Amino acid sequence: MIADNLITERGVSAGDEWITVPADNVHEALAALKGEGYRLLVFLTCVDHLVDQSRPSWPGRYELVYQLRDVEKLRELRVRAFVDGDPPEIESATDLFPPADWDERETYDLFGVRFKGHPELTRILMPDDWVGHPLRRDYPVGGEVVEFSEEHQRWQTPPDRA
Amino acid sequence: MSSTESMAGTEGVTISRTGQQGAFGGELLTVNFGPHHPSTHGVLRLIVDLDGEQIKRLKPVIGYLHTGIEKQMEALRWQQGVVVTDRHDYLSPPINNLAYALAVERLMGVEAPPRAQALRVIMSELTRLSSHLVWLGTSGLELGAMSMLMYCFRERETILDMNEEISGFRMHTSYIRPGGVMADATPRFLDMLASFVKEMPGHVDEYEDLLTMNPIWRARTIGIGRLSPEDAKVLGASGPMIRGSGIAWDLRKTMPYSGYESYDFEVATSDACDCYGRYLVRIKEMREAVKILDQALQRLPDGPVNVDDRKMLPPPREELETSMEAVIHHFKLFTEGYSVPAGDVYVAVESGRGENGCYIVSDGTHKPRRVKFRSASFVNLQALERMALNHMIADMIAIIGTADTVLGDVDR
Repeated sequence: MIADNLITERGVSAGDEWITVPADNVHEALAALKGEGYRLLVFLTCVDHLVDQSRPSWPGRYELVYQLRDVEKLRELRVRAFVDGDPPEIESATDLFPPADWDERETYDLFGVRFKGHPELTRILMPDDWVGHPLRRDYPVGGEVVEFSEEHQRWQTPPDRA
Repeated sequence: MSSTESMAGTEGVTISRTGQQGAFGGELLTVNFGPHHPSTHGVLRLIVDLDGEQIKRLKPVIGYLHTGIEKQMEALRWQQGVVVTDRHDYLSPPINNLAYALAVERLMGVEAPPRAQALRVIMSELTRLSSHLVWLGTSGLELGAMSMLMYCFRERETILDMNEEISGFRMHTSYIRPGGVMADATPRFLDMLASFVKEMPGHVDEYEDLLTMNPIWRARTIGIGRLSPEDAKVLGASGPMIRGSGIAWDLRKTMPYSGYESYDFEVATSDACDCYGRYLVRIKEMREAVKILDQALQRLPDGPVNVDDRKMLPPPREELETSMEAVIHHFKLFTEGYSVPAGDVYVAVESGRGENGCYIVSDGTHKPRRVKFRSASFVNLQALERMALNHMIADMIAIIGTADTVLGDVDR
């Protein structure tokens, strides 16, 4: 296992093992875990804990989740790191795990988390000129006018011709 | 002004901005491939730098089919989310349902009864077959084997008929749900399945007669789109992509779920590491899927198909007329829904394309806090550049084809 001073919390959720590491040390922790045999990053994503009352307090609003897998020993480990701030920032893991490339772009696109050291951090799913990060909890569902809908038509019609 | 500069602003085809010289005496040419192209299986755009006809750089541009499925899941109650999971990988809806259902069940701490698990295996394997059939038909079509589409869609039609019989829906079945399955299999479904299991191996022989030794098919796939085992591991490829590179990684064997450990089947692999190898893997997988179907049908256990938990699944219709408690449960389930204990869980299942995972986070309320679909296509597509480098642009059709990405799954 990695150095204990890197782990702030550990536990098991529904059978899945997890650890929490400080956001500043996430790259160091992931590198150590890769050396331990966790060679595959299954996915990387973010959870927005805005107004989440399942715990009295959260270390940060954005939780980065790294699911690692050791394909030889068939074990998995979930690494969490909490970040805050506007924009939230964390170190990129692309140099350790190549599949993190698109996952980090997706997380940037949908949550606005900046990954320091990512080779090309651009939007991936949303259009390049999109404003906002849709998977944040304060971004409403249906906040965007649906094209060709009645409402959209109203938006496109000048008041004197309505 | 030179002719290269005047062409630089033209949409579609531009001389590469880097001005880099190719080996054939000209500059690299940047070509916009897609997003609307019949061979991209959806709307995938590729920006390709060509030296003559050789691919020197390739950059996939995705997002054209982004429908915000993960956002929608957050606005729906736990049992409503099933309907949305159908729609990201639209060629394997029951397998998507299964990943979500298993994840919710793990958080709730319940397990589906044996009959439901067997029915889940049956639906998963039927889906794998239908997904491989669509792949085989369309890939054949793209590489000049026009009749493949007709043959493959003939059998797929039978599978869709079976979907309709068991769930009432042909494609987006929503059949597998947290707690069990939608309804028990009808006797007619089991009859259809029995005759399908008998006929299908003969049909797979037919496809092999048409393709396996076909000189055109072999010329277009052998040695094309090489993905070494090391690259496949490093790039996180899964499904036929990694098995076609000789690594026997199949979640049904390595991390079994829904009782797959009790079925006797082989993991299909091929050491060819090219498009032809991936083709052989899928053909073998179709044969193995029929084997699993046969076993599941032989020992389909009797019993209920849903967990007996009134807090999670609605009571049977007839109980509503005699029991006040049933009415209360019914009302609560259809207005508020059930709550899932706070926590998070990741469940991965093997779809026709590879590791189809579902990561859910619950904050203890009746709606998910976060649902993330780890789709195989999204990760496999990142290996595209590695496979296509230094091949002819026409070979890219074969490479995209055998990568078998579903763009709905990539963009979610």
